[in-house]
Amino acid sequence: MHKNSRQPYAVSEKAGHQHSAESWGTGRAVARIPRVSGGGTSRSGQGAFGNQCRKGRMFAPTKVWRKWHRKINQNQRRYATVSAVAASALPALVEARGHAISNLPQVPLVVDSSVEKFTTTKKAVALLKALGAYNDVEKSKDSKKVRPGVGKMRNRRHVIKHGPLVVYNKDDGITRAFRNIPGVDLCSVHALNLLQLAPGGHVGRFVIWSQSAFNALDSVFGSGRKEATEKVGYNLPHAILANADIARIINSDEVQAAVKPVKKSAKVPRQKKNPLKNLNVLLKLNPYAQTQKRAAIFSEKSHRERLTAQNAKRGVKAAAKPAAAKAAAKPAAAAPAKAKK
Amino acid sequence: VSTQSTWGVRFFILLLYIREMSASTKTPVPESVAKKAQRDSALSAAKIKSAVEAKKTNRAFRQAICKRAKQYADEYAANQANLVRMKRQAKNNGNFYVDEEPKLAFAVRIRGINAIAPRTKKILQLLRLRQIHNGVFVKLNKATICMLRLVEPYITYGYPNLKTVRSLVYKRGYGKVNKQRIPITDNKVISSVLGQHGIQSTEDLVHEIYTVGPHFKQAANFLWPFKLSSPLGGYSQKGKHFVEGGDYGDRAEEINKLISRMA
Repeated sequence: MHKNSRQPYAVSEKAGHQHSAESWGTGRAVARIPRVSGGGTSRSGQGAFGNQCRKGRMFAPTKVWRKWHRKINQNQRRYATVSAVAASALPALVEARGHAISNLPQVPLVVDSSVEKFTTTKKAVALLKALGAYNDVEKSKDSKKVRPGVGKMRNRRHVIKHGPLVVYNKDDGITRAFRNIPGVDLCSVHALNLLQLAPGGHVGRFVIWSQSAFNALDSVFGSGRKEATEKVGYNLPHAILANADIARIINSDEVQAAVKPVKKSAKVPRQKKNPLKNLNVLLKLNPYAQTQKRAAIFSEKSHRERLTAQNAKRGVKAAAKPAAAKAAAKPAAAAPAKAKK
Repeated sequence: VSTQSTWGVRFFILLLYIREMSASTKTPVPESVAKKAQRDSALSAAKIKSAVEAKKTNRAFRQAICKRAKQYADEYAANQANLVRMKRQAKNNGNFYVDEEPKLAFAVRIRGINAIAPRTKKILQLLRLRQIHNGVFVKLNKATICMLRLVEPYITYGYPNLKTVRSLVYKRGYGKVNKQRIPITDNKVISSVLGQHGIQSTEDLVHEIYTVGPHFKQAANFLWPFKLSSPLGGYSQKGKHFVEGGDYGDRAEEINKLISRMA
């Protein structure tokens, strides 16, 4: 939709072709590009016409009959406008869009219709300050920056954030009062501008309505039941949700009765531990392993005790280490055997 | 933080909120909040109850496992002792005791996947040896012995002992659960699939495999093909039969040494 305000640009039709250049053809040890005719100047014989040539015409010269504007279906456009207006009534969305609305008494903010008769900016500023809306204006003021990019040389030097949008019913001077305040935009309720209601396609602009503008909304867009008077045969689109209180729906008896029980997420071990090394993991898999290990330790202990008792009986000094005990046992066993023999 | 404790915490906070709301300012508690508190309390009570019950059943489960494990340990020891006794008896009487032919084999794929004849390829697929160093337990009967013989140059196989079977299942054991390769970190992994055949723990599984029980097929198939490492210390010669001093083919009891280097 932003494309609709564009002005056409194009290269001159004649650009690059204002020569009688002709190709020299083959056989002259030069490229076959058309060359400037004539003589007496360094330009003669130079390549011409091609987009690769110096002073040649560009590739695909831009034309004015480019499609500059975009048609949007009327109903789609109205749907968007209506959605943007609805979004401006939700403080969460307005704040998410970035407006400073924490000091406002209420969202949507509706002001008495006498604001439409304001003529001085002083009064306008005073009103904004009283409403707590001036924070948004100040945010906008502080955000004035030089545009990055070539636009700065093309009369689009500064960029500024959007502040409040003031919507009025009848302009009795309000436009002139508010228009010089940085960031503030104005709009008549009878011709709401979607580019202002949802700048950049993001809904939730901070809107200040005049009372009469707010009242006029019903006649502009229709209420849910009654058709609009200012638009022929138009009514508000049906809501996607009849009841938007999702928390209440979720926690209602009807839903909870049909809901499955909470799934217990299976504990997935990050690493498989080796049961042959890790005792706890082994016991988890085979609880009997504890008894087995204990029995093994006990039997080894009693075996060693029996061995030392044996050695003591045979008159061999018992060694501390089992390996040494074994070594001691071997010659001890060999000695009585030899003695027997 | 377990789900049980967060339920309890949430419920507790809700109770406090309700108490505060109704007592201090006399503002009515929103119906949805009251309902949620009610629901949460019921849920937490149910959870505590089920936890207590689960603990009881788990205890019984583990006691049964212990009992069966002891049975198996006694069985293995008895079989071993019996074997020794029979051999000694035969020797004393001047006879020979002929060992029972092995019922269980463990086959490991030795060679890679390139340049394989179609029949060999198919047999290796049937044996679930699709990757090098994959190992599977195989029940030995005429059919499988012929299959192993046909793919001999690509595998090495032998008769695993109890220690080998145990170490494979414990260290490298993964089960096929819902077509996924799940590590055997809990007996529930086994019992969920093989519980219907009376195999509920790793010891049951090891017993079924080692003694080639009535549900060997299901037990062995439950086990995903073992992904073994290359043997520490290397092969001698993959291109020759074990009998020739190489590695492939039937190597009987020597498979245990190889597996201890691979697992």
